[in-house]
Amino acid sequence: MSKSEILSQMQGIFRDVLDNDAIVLADHTTASDIEEWDSLTHIQLIVAIERHFKFKLDSREILSWKNVGEMADAILKRLGS
Amino acid sequence: MLFNSLRFLLFFSVFFALYHGPAKAFRGGQNWLLLAGSYAFYAFASWKILPLLILFTGIFYALGIAIERATEPSRKSLWTGVGVVLGLGGLLYFKYTNFFIEVFADLLSGLGFRVHAPTLSILMPVGISFWTFRLLSYVIEIGRGRQRASYDKVEFASYVAFFPCILSGPIDRPSQFLPQLEKQRDFDEALAVDGLRQILWGLFKKVVVADQLAEAGQKLIADPSHYSSGGLFVGMFIFLLQMYADFSGYTDMATGVSKLLGLRIAKNFNYPLFAQNIADYWRRWHMSLTSWLTDYVFLPLNIKWRDNENVGMAAAIIVTFLASGLWHGANETFVLWGLYHGLLYVPLIVAGTMSKKPKLTTVQFGLPAPSVVGRAMLTMALVSFGLIMFNAPTVTGAVAYMIRMFSLTGWEHGVIGQPPTWGLLWASVMLATEWFAREREHGLAGLVSLASSRRRMALYVALTLCVVVASGQDVGFVYFQF
Repeated sequence: MSKSEILSQMQGIFRDVLDNDAIVLADHTTASDIEEWDSLTHIQLIVAIERHFKFKLDSREILSWKNVGEMADAILKRLGS
Repeated sequence: MLFNSLRFLLFFSVFFALYHGPAKAFRGGQNWLLLAGSYAFYAFASWKILPLLILFTGIFYALGIAIERATEPSRKSLWTGVGVVLGLGGLLYFKYTNFFIEVFADLLSGLGFRVHAPTLSILMPVGISFWTFRLLSYVIEIGRGRQRASYDKVEFASYVAFFPCILSGPIDRPSQFLPQLEKQRDFDEALAVDGLRQILWGLFKKVVVADQLAEAGQKLIADPSHYSSGGLFVGMFIFLLQMYADFSGYTDMATGVSKLLGLRIAKNFNYPLFAQNIADYWRRWHMSLTSWLTDYVFLPLNIKWRDNENVGMAAAIIVTFLASGLWHGANETFVLWGLYHGLLYVPLIVAGTMSKKPKLTTVQFGLPAPSVVGRAMLTMALVSFGLIMFNAPTVTGAVAYMIRMFSLTGWEHGVIGQPPTWGLLWASVMLATEWFAREREHGLAGLVSLASSRRRMALYVALTLCVVVASGQDVGFVYFQF
């Protein structure tokens, strides 16, 4: 799976969890770009991503993400391993 | 040295002239001045503790570099852990040693042991909760790979000791503040004028509203048996109005002073008295502490417990609020206050409405819709009720207040002795002004577009007169104690 495919699937998850069909994800997107994305919905997003891609992410890794691009990189790495 | 004192005015006038004048003559001069001014300001509050502040600053400066230079993740974690243990250790020692001795002694007494627990004479460092949290966020962010270490000692020390914020916050994050110190700050007239406006608004809230309500609040909590249940009910709202006007007034002044220096500090309040539920309230009140606790306590716990869904989230929120309670002080009252706020989240978690951001809808003339007023009043009542515990010296005192409040003794014996009529009236003016300014940074921020320069000037003069007439009481800031 390519990074753009992962981003596209993540976009679907974000739209579903945050209940906002206008969300468009890019590498540089951060929580400050999306009103509904806060510390509480962040966890719901992680749980939804883990269920969708069927793996568990590492807590330390989750805390180090700076933007959507880094989230996608982590997923890509996990899918590749 | 209070912001609303002649001494601070003199200090800052000299500082301001040097900062935008001679200090620009050489590279880094403004930061050197900022550091010298900040240490002088801190020494004025607590000169005995200044060496401790300098020592911690030096240690965390070195730790930041050690974390960044470590190539092995385990080594990075080790140095970050050292920072966290040192920071929390210092905080625990200076702020909580006696509290834990007493709790431990009570526990042993409860088990039937005869205990004589001597408490230690420990000097409580002023502002330690604020500067320790700055230091902690610095090392944790470097450890997480989201912040570069500072290699400029003066720059870093200025960030830690920045005088407008060292005693009561906001708790600025290094990623927002340090880059501002890397450049020379030129005088920005528009920013400075806005800063002066914000200082005036902060002074109004502090001197005209908070200080006028302070005495009534202190009397009520000191001996509730003297007052009727109606009076005590009104009294708990006085606690909230006073604390908000005091703390947000301080923050407005700190923000305004920073703007005069060409610096932007973290936003700490977003009109919390209009919050529509408890989660909304915490998104608006003491925001720099809430976001700090969210990032370093709530998120790691919630991520760890995410498989437990709502139960995990509720547990993470309750632990976070217990930490918030303890941060405020070494007293069971603060712990119970934190627990109370954590539990207030449970209905929102169950209903799944915690992340919803309710809109502040209006009716004619921009006035709030009745439903908005109703939800805001309910939220204020819940928060105010918690402040009984927060303000009481002991749990027993808080319980006595609550029992008396619900004893239905009506309104006899006068409402609250000498009711702070002027304070409440000015609090209404504050609330009305802030309602119409709620989309802006502070209460007077919208004046430029709303009023002619002559009217603006008249308003500034009127507000200044109010401050001058109301001043004279030497009432410290509530959050200095933390």
